[in-house]
Amino acid sequence: MSFRRRPPRWLLLATMAGAALILSACGADLPATTTSPAGTHARRIYELLVPIFWIALAVFVVVEAILIYSVIRFRRRPDSGIPTQIHGNTMVEIGWTIAPALILLVIAVLTFRTQAIQSVQPADAIRIKAIGHQWWWEFRYEDRSIVTAGDLYVPVGRDVTLELEAVDVIHSFWVPKLAGKTDTIPGKTNLITFQAEKEGVFRGFCAEFCGEQHAVMRFRVVAVQPDVFEQWLQEHSVAPPAPSEEVQQVFVTRACVSCHAIDGFEQAVGQTGPNLTYFGSRLTIAGGALPNTPDNLRRWLQDPEAVKAHNKMAATIGPGKVQLTPDEIELLVSYLGEQKVSVPIPAEQ
Amino acid sequence: MATLERQVGHTPTLVPSKELPGWLGWLTTVDHKKIGIMYIVSAFFFFLIGGIEALLMRVQLGVPENTFLSPDVYNQMFTMHATTMVFLAIMPLNVGFGNYVVPLMIGARDMAFPRLNALSIWLFIFGGLMLYLSFIVGGAPAAGWFAYAPLSTKVFSPTNGMDYWVVGLTITGVASIAGAINFIVTIINMRAPGMTFNRLPLFAWMTLIVSFLLIFAFPSLTVAQVQLLFDRNFGTGFFLPERGGDPLLWQHLFWFFGHPEVYILILPAMGIVSEVLPTFSRKPIFGYAFVAYSGVAIGFLGFTVWAHHMFAVGLGPLANAIFSAGSFLIGVPTGVKIFNWIATIYGGSINLKSPFYFAAGFVAMFVIGGISGITLASPPLDLQQTDSYYVVAHIHYVLFGGAIFGLFAGAYYWFPKITGRMLNDRLGKIHFWLMLISMNVTFFPMHILGTEGMPRRYYTYEAGMGWEVWNLLETIGAFAMAFSILIFIFNVVSSLKHGERAEADPWDGATLEWAVSSPPPAHNFDRTPVVHSRRPLWDTKYPDLEVAHEAGSHGMKRSEAVKQDQVHHVEGDEAIHLPSPTFAPIIVSFGVTVLGFGLLYLGTSGGMTAIAMVVGLVIMGYGIVRWVRDAHADLPQH
Repeated sequence: MSFRRRPPRWLLLATMAGAALILSACGADLPATTTSPAGTHARRIYELLVPIFWIALAVFVVVEAILIYSVIRFRRRPDSGIPTQIHGNTMVEIGWTIAPALILLVIAVLTFRTQAIQSVQPADAIRIKAIGHQWWWEFRYEDRSIVTAGDLYVPVGRDVTLELEAVDVIHSFWVPKLAGKTDTIPGKTNLITFQAEKEGVFRGFCAEFCGEQHAVMRFRVVAVQPDVFEQWLQEHSVAPPAPSEEVQQVFVTRACVSCHAIDGFEQAVGQTGPNLTYFGSRLTIAGGALPNTPDNLRRWLQDPEAVKAHNKMAATIGPGKVQLTPDEIELLVSYLGEQKVSVPIPAEQ
Repeated sequence: MATLERQVGHTPTLVPSKELPGWLGWLTTVDHKKIGIMYIVSAFFFFLIGGIEALLMRVQLGVPENTFLSPDVYNQMFTMHATTMVFLAIMPLNVGFGNYVVPLMIGARDMAFPRLNALSIWLFIFGGLMLYLSFIVGGAPAAGWFAYAPLSTKVFSPTNGMDYWVVGLTITGVASIAGAINFIVTIINMRAPGMTFNRLPLFAWMTLIVSFLLIFAFPSLTVAQVQLLFDRNFGTGFFLPERGGDPLLWQHLFWFFGHPEVYILILPAMGIVSEVLPTFSRKPIFGYAFVAYSGVAIGFLGFTVWAHHMFAVGLGPLANAIFSAGSFLIGVPTGVKIFNWIATIYGGSINLKSPFYFAAGFVAMFVIGGISGITLASPPLDLQQTDSYYVVAHIHYVLFGGAIFGLFAGAYYWFPKITGRMLNDRLGKIHFWLMLISMNVTFFPMHILGTEGMPRRYYTYEAGMGWEVWNLLETIGAFAMAFSILIFIFNVVSSLKHGERAEADPWDGATLEWAVSSPPPAHNFDRTPVVHSRRPLWDTKYPDLEVAHEAGSHGMKRSEAVKQDQVHHVEGDEAIHLPSPTFAPIIVSFGVTVLGFGLLYLGTSGGMTAIAMVVGLVIMGYGIVRWVRDAHADLPQH
């Protein structure tokens, strides 16, 4: 048979085809892929992954090829007697102890180099607080008195240091295209620094299991040019006009104010739910469960439990609990949708 | 046990053990072989349940935005799937094969403590059933098998599921520790004359290492679980920052157990492969000492790397670098093992039967799991890969491609010994190929999904993320995998009835279990075997075979080597005394379980709890008294 002397050619071809398929699958520019980074933190990780991937592929091919070759080449035939009995070979064994050690040493050096760069927290970075809640993300720009939720605005080309905290259980902040994960832990503040390299809206996830709606704790990172970012900060730090009497009445009688705060609306001071200031500019609602459209907001106000089971708002609002009337819902939808900042939203990346 | 053998007259006589008939025989047995079978059967049952949970999850994830399972049920499924596979399937399957095979391999008549052995199996079964009872009484645990605090505390996990998780696993933990002590004492003290540690079969070696790991690792889990039970029910705050506690304390305690646990799961499979590959290649294992000591090295290093599960928690770059270096280091002994296995079959005369297929499949798949493990050991890479589907791929290549393939190799290898029948080899190969292909269809795309940003433990995902195709493919693969398991079950059932009768030594084996009939007699060996080499059975089968250390070096005939060996064993005329069956272990286990139920509701319903605890203690006390009496009645002088 042809493969008695050398490994079969089809095997090599199949492996290469497989590797090509995987690379192309991973290389496609999907919304959350780690292989087309647009942020410094994610890019340095990707640049570390590439050489390690090729080393790993080489090890894989060599080991599997020898294994498959040995199985085929040394299968028992009618004339096979008892093979030569060999217990080992000390030199060979020392050799193949040292070989993986050397490969791992190379990987370790590359790793520690990347780690050293990533762990630097520059003093001049913009500091933003990101706080994990069950099941939504709060972002606080404390020096500008801005509290928002769901969308994290950052400037392109500037270092951003996030101070990561959690109020209930452990969550993890992950924006695959911009930065690797860092956990948010109750009672602890973690830091991560990254820089968005281009404009865009990037997908973010909670990556540490945090309870029933862990899967629906999404957020967006909105990376805009520095001047646009400054404009956003300025607009957002000015309180929007207070709502009409009718809206205020709904907010107070339906107890919205006990969980939600809105800048410039004195009674709305609640802290357990998201701050609703400039709600109309948010890209999603309910922790990323739905895009922010009037229809979706109606659905949410009508029956939050049906949109996202066991979220905190559903404990009080909805059929069989405090049920908002259609009129009230319309009032809220138009009020919330109208408060907007004028900053243009870049394209989804 | 000192009661195992004693000196009497001139002819070896067998004192018959008073086995009870039928089911009672199983409930009261202290025979390591029967206990081994009970472990294997009950663990396989849990393996099927864990598999069904996996299938339900795969149905849910087959398409985006699916509503097949509610979020809460999905979370219960992945919590119970992992808990089941780790604690109720793979570990007890390892223990089952160890129980059956290790005493035979080392030339012993039973485990050192047969009654303790029976206690272990019953504690395991009751603990496992208790855990599953949570499904009926208010909901299974849903905080993940890792049960991170504060999510696992009462505020965020208000059902009793977590309490069942804590108490059920503590009971199986007692079983594991008792079993580990039993293995250690057995392997150290009951080896046949001449079986030095340098001649110990590698499966026994790995079982010994795993037993030590268990003894050092499990207390860490138990301590954490007891603290969690107190945080949940009695107002302490070990893991609650608002009461001065620390959520990370849980993670350190859990992973100090959890990482060695991975080696507890995989090392026995490595031991099985180290038996199967040489037997089917008709060669000795290549580099016996390297394989044995690399197991020791892996076990030791396994205790120094727990924080690589915590690279994202913010331990700081220095701590991360140290744990990273330790994790890289484990790659060395692991790589050595793989090279040794390949060198074992290289130049051999490979008998391509089902056990060999699965053992070779183990090596092929474990390589992939090992390589993905290296990337996870690098903190920067880990920050993109951890808690994504990439990790799910990694652990399934290690635990399914590794541990489960190794266990199937063991199942096909020892089935004839255990049952006296051969499994159908053709069906075995169909099982192998279907399982190999379908596991890769299921688990390989998970590497891609993780790289494409899909987090794990998500009950749903949005369309348009590029994840749909891979998820659907994985679901199809999972069902194909389930079908391959059905083929195995069919093979077992039909072979038990109609399978070809197995001889004592169907595979041309080298170790002592093949020296006795299939299945072996209750007392294992008529006479204690005397061991002169690592392959005692081959010494008698191939006295003229020459063995060299290295290719080209001078060989020596096995018969000469045997003659030169300085083992002086004067075979006494021994009557073989086997311990009598007893109800005591199952009674004590039952009492412990009732006591556990009391503990479970201590914080919520005082009256019922008090009754359960008193009843449990009384049953346990009665069991212990009975145990002592039965043991006393069993003394040979009686």
